[in-house]
Amino acid sequence: MSEEKRLHPISAVINFVKALREALIPIVVLIFLNQGERNSFLDYLPFIGMGVFMIIILFLGILKWWRFTYRVEEGELRIEYGLFVKKKRYIPFERIQSLNYSEGIFHRPLKLVKIKVETAGTSNSLESEAELTAITKEEANELNSFISKAKKKIKERIEVDEDGVPIEEESEQEEEVEGKILYKMSAKDLVIMATTSGGAGVVISGLLIFLSQFSEFIPYETVMDEFMDVVQSGILIVAVTVFIVLFFAWLIAVAMTFIRYASFTVKLVDKDLVITRGLLEKKQTTIPLNRIQGIRFNQNLLREPFKYAAVTIESAGGSALEKDSNTIRLLPMIRSSEAPRILEEILPEYEWSTDFTGAPKRSIFRYMFWNLLFISFIIAPVSYFFYPYGLLSLLLYPLLAGLSWLQYKSAGYRLSEDQLTVQFRVFDKQIVYMKKKRIQSLELKETWFQRKGRVATLSATIKSYIAGSVNTVNHLDVKDVEKVMEWYQPETAPRAAKQAEALPEE
Amino acid sequence: MERREPNKRISERALTVWKLYGWISTAILGVIGIGVITLSVLFNWSYWFIVGAAAIPILNAVLFVYIFPTLKWKRWRYEVREEEIELQHGIFIVKRTLVPMVRVQHVDTEQGPILRKYRLATISISTAATVHQIPALDIDEADSLRDSISALARVAKDDV
Repeated sequence: MSEEKRLHPISAVINFVKALREALIPIVVLIFLNQGERNSFLDYLPFIGMGVFMIIILFLGILKWWRFTYRVEEGELRIEYGLFVKKKRYIPFERIQSLNYSEGIFHRPLKLVKIKVETAGTSNSLESEAELTAITKEEANELNSFISKAKKKIKERIEVDEDGVPIEEESEQEEEVEGKILYKMSAKDLVIMATTSGGAGVVISGLLIFLSQFSEFIPYETVMDEFMDVVQSGILIVAVTVFIVLFFAWLIAVAMTFIRYASFTVKLVDKDLVITRGLLEKKQTTIPLNRIQGIRFNQNLLREPFKYAAVTIESAGGSALEKDSNTIRLLPMIRSSEAPRILEEILPEYEWSTDFTGAPKRSIFRYMFWNLLFISFIIAPVSYFFYPYGLLSLLLYPLLAGLSWLQYKSAGYRLSEDQLTVQFRVFDKQIVYMKKKRIQSLELKETWFQRKGRVATLSATIKSYIAGSVNTVNHLDVKDVEKVMEWYQPETAPRAAKQAEALPEE
Repeated sequence: MERREPNKRISERALTVWKLYGWISTAILGVIGIGVITLSVLFNWSYWFIVGAAAIPILNAVLFVYIFPTLKWKRWRYEVREEEIELQHGIFIVKRTLVPMVRVQHVDTEQGPILRKYRLATISISTAATVHQIPALDIDEADSLRDSISALARVAKDDV
């Protein structure tokens, strides 16, 4: 497979559509700005320009496809591309973590896939990634088996080097992609997910923004007048209208969720998690288990009463290019009581207990005080400048007090021999499961006030993509936080601490 | 049981440098202040502008020359042990950070012109996800610290 290969020609079209999509907003703006009457040739100039522009984009798309070649050579994936300047990118197989497949609407009829090459992300992870826009499935599988074979070889060599004895490799060839299905999302879960995700709200606000763009065409004032008439004619009609709007927004949200998450499946293949999803565009994400840095449970306020949670993976490296994958959804919507059963199969070394040591009672006041103080800075000016309606903002006080109470109730931590689990809340309740060896640094913070009250704040940072994710629990008992610090210190440390203890206090 | 504080302090010359930073920012604010005062006299602005333009640099000088540097220096402690690095700093919020050696990916020292004049350097300890700085260490100490940290920091076996 060392000969030079081109992508499937359809990638020229994909390139074109992609470029067009990026230029969509300027084009729309252009059309709207040129609403006036057209008298002379000059008035058509923008449209002619646009036509030329599109032809150029199409041409560039074709050129891009023509210039892009890839080949496999000397244990490396070698890609050459570039419109005017020829660029070469060589990625050694051992740096390749996984190949992620996705199939868009262009790919499916032609049995093609798009491949994203994911490497162990260091600071220059953006640099070392590659994307093959469209290749046939056979080519993709060939490439995949080629890489996994090469990796195995390298691994063997390393293992031989380390132990002196070659490790017996059970030749589990070509059993690939089968794997064990661990989780399949049901239609019911999808509906619940769409309903509680706030997606309907997004749809409505999107609709409002969309409508506000057409203010020129829709005589809002007339509509408003008529609307007032309608309001007078009966509250029932208004209620029905609102209900219908909400219902359609909800339908759209459900449809969008289905498009993105339909047939969501989690499989365990060898040492990799394989997640497939999508209705029109099929996406496949591969996460090597040893890249998992932590597991996060997220319960928003809507989901919490129904005991549903979203489970996401914090993973190192990975694709910084993929926008919506900032967190990898492992179980997008699941009853929190069912999640551990599935997770145990994936990560048996984790402990899924949620028996937390909470914040001490004296912390309630702190949660309340800071939140209420903060909100006062908003309420005071609003009440003053928008008197008397601004006084309605005073309603935020009981809301915030309620939130503070929930924050206090949520705060907690749990230690086991090699695992720290924290639970906290900003708005959504979060539980983060972290192995000791995955925690990059641990921090104890105390303000002067906290010191007086013998409480402290605990922050644990784990790696998440190319940056870190900081998980902070406020106002825990200072003794508890110190216990965690002690636990985090490497083995030899307790001795030093004991010695220090033995010394008389200054 | 109170946790033991880390045992090392940063260089006392850090105080001088921080005070110098304070004076520099005061000087900049002073120049801006003079500009504002001139303008407000010329254009008959409210006298509050003059009060503000005079007060801000003075306040800045008091805080960033006389008060904060001393507090900051007093609080700053660090300790590099065989298995971990412990830092403590912060004026209002005291932060104590633990970084295990095995998590350290690389160590840098850096110095700008002012730090160089006072033979100081700042050391940055990077893990896969975080960067921790010890400011204004004596240059020799910073160099030897950097070398010993990078010697102690082993390559982590696990993927990140």
